[in-house]
Amino acid sequence: FTKRKLDADTLEELEDVLIQADLGVAVASAITDRLSAERYGKDITDDEVKSILVAEVEKVLAPVAVPFALKPDKAPQVVLVVGVNGSGKTTTIGKLASKFTAEGKKVMLAAGDTFRAAAIDQLKVWAGRTNVPIVARDVGSDSAGLAFDALTRAKAEGIDVLMIDTAGRLQNKAELMAELEKVVRVLRKVDPTAPHDVLLVLDATTGQNAVSQVEVFGRTAGVTGLVMTKLDGTARGGILVAIAEKFGLPVHFIGVGEGIDDLEPFAARDFARAIAGLGD
Amino acid sequence: MFESLSDRLAGIFDKLTRRGALSEADVAEAMREVRRALLEADVALDVVKSFTDKVKNRAVGVEVVKSVTPGQMVVKIVHDQLVETLGSDAQPIDLEAPAPVAILMVGLQGSGKTTTTAKIARRLTERQRKKVLMASLDTRRPAAMEQLKVLGEQNGIDTLPIVTGQSAQEIAARALTAARLGGYDVVLLDTAGRVTVDDALMSEAADVKRIAQPHEVLLVADALTGQDAVNTARAFDGQIGITGIVLTRVDGDGRGGAALSMRAVTGKPIKLMGVGEKADALEDFHPQRVADRILGM
Ligand SMILES: Nc1nc2c(ncn2[C@@H]2O[C@H](COP(=O)(O)OP(=O)(O)OP(=O)(O)O)[C@@H](O)[C@H]2O)c(=O)[nH]1
Ligand SMILES: Nc1nc2c(ncn2[C@@H]2O[C@H](COP(=O)(O)OP(=O)(O)OP(=O)(O)O)[C@@H](O)[C@H]2O)c(=O)[nH]1
Ligand SMILES: [K+]
Ligand SMILES: [Mg+2]
Ligand SMILES: [Mg+2]
Repeated sequence: FTKRKLDADTLEELEDVLIQADLGVAVASAITDRLSAERYGKDITDDEVKSILVAEVEKVLAPVAVPFALKPDKAPQVVLVVGVNGSGKTTTIGKLASKFTAEGKKVMLAAGDTFRAAAIDQLKVWAGRTNVPIVARDVGSDSAGLAFDALTRAKAEGIDVLMIDTAGRLQNKAELMAELEKVVRVLRKVDPTAPHDVLLVLDATTGQNAVSQVEVFGRTAGVTGLVMTKLDGTARGGILVAIAEKFGLPVHFIGVGEGIDDLEPFAARDFARAIAGLGD
Repeated sequence: MFESLSDRLAGIFDKLTRRGALSEADVAEAMREVRRALLEADVALDVVKSFTDKVKNRAVGVEVVKSVTPGQMVVKIVHDQLVETLGSDAQPIDLEAPAPVAILMVGLQGSGKTTTTAKIARRLTERQRKKVLMASLDTRRPAAMEQLKVLGEQNGIDTLPIVTGQSAQEIAARALTAARLGGYDVVLLDTAGRVTVDDALMSEAADVKRIAQPHEVLLVADALTGQDAVNTARAFDGQIGITGIVLTRVDGDGRGGAALSMRAVTGKPIKLMGVGEKADALEDFHPQRVADRILGM
């Protein structure tokens, strides 16, 4: 192996790697600045360069790698799932239903996307696959009302975890965000401590806009944790590093495919390695 | 979309145009700021690099430094380069082929293919009085076929009857036969979403293309996409061959750099943009107008 000096060119190459993984310019250069401060001008192998890069990214991610907690004392634990269109909300609910059921929990789903064509049918298929009950109303009905019904039923039926699907919405649409706020408000009429978890589902292919998704969904729905999907593709999802720095919100899971088992706990080191281009 | 990038660039150019003489260092400094603004707008790094290189070369070539209004000159060069990157003319969907004209929709999971299929069908029906058939080749996503069927019912567009158990290839063949026998002008083929590293699914799409011989293959891509836009565009174009791009979720507040990236790496035009969830939320893409908007002109 060849040693070389950690010089400006190498640092720029590293910054490029980070930018191409969607960390954004500011975070990418902050990380390479830290690297530079520690090691500038020192002899270093290519492998060492990569591993300090991994370490720097991991440092940012480690505090947010928080496992999702089941809260038996809260039963029914209400998990509201939110995010922009097509990010993977419904699929993630299906995967979680399978996981929680396997852990011995009584799960119920609520088809809160009463807007998009066949969104209810899609969740019904997942309910069938995981063999859990689903509360649904007709297309076009009020999703806050549906959420109210679902929680009332979940309480009556001794459900452990109620997962509520919602329609995809872009965070710059005030009207749709107000609708989401109403869902939260109405849930609290049944249980003042609900929702116990608000999961924001982020698509790994998304670039810098994900920061504003976290900010606005956080403000409107009180996001408690993140899930990042579609990491089985070529996107690295590095915007999560910027998000971790800025918001410090827990990241619970990653989606790595469309199948029922394609959900993994978020692991800071693996994620950092993938960002640095080191794969698994 | 685009507005926030426009604000950033306008600020940079404002500084330039307000000055008299410009040194080469001034131009270089402005280009560094342009680089950063483009990256923050999600334009892919390689595309940003070649963009700023070209602008720098042109700027030196025309001796901006010595021109009377050097600032304006740089702005014009950036504008021209932007138009060159985005393409200059609007390119609508091309139906110049014997009926039934097949249009194949491809893209990553959740990019907006099914919704866009219905939007295009509705537009061709309403504006061009075409008889359109839609078919879902998505055998994978739960309720994907029902989704297209519902959209067909909502918008008065025929859909191919659902037959369970058929492969995407078989459905494609059936859709073409049905379109021919039914006297349809256009047959739109919606496909399952796929990541580009999924070799089996990428070759399934290539198979479908061979069977259907589509006149248009449209890559449906999310305007909020980050740096991955180049991988996605290259892979779909390289492995399947696309004729154009439809950008969705342009109603979001992303800065839309993916548009530049995908056009730049494939050379394929952005034909349409989705600006909402409803079936009429589809607009033509006018590169020149978008370039003007990006530069706040
Ligand atoms: N490759 C891959 N695809 C995924 C993953 N998660 C979800 N998908 C796919 O992404 C597409 C959209 O997923 P949905 O679950 O319908 O997304 P959504 O957020 O509910 O979408 P809307 O309700 O329309 O806003 C589907 O084709 C899913 O199969 C993942 O981790 N990897
Ligand atoms: N705001 C907005 N939402 C859109 C637009 N186009 C599609 N959507 C939404 O994006 C989500 C996904 O759209 P689909 O048409 O199901 O995407 P798809 O590519 O067919 O998804 P898969 O078949 O799972 O790969 C849905 O919630 C759509 O309503 C758009 O232009 N703007
Ligand atoms: K997406
Ligand atoms: Mg959904
Ligand atoms: Mg679809």
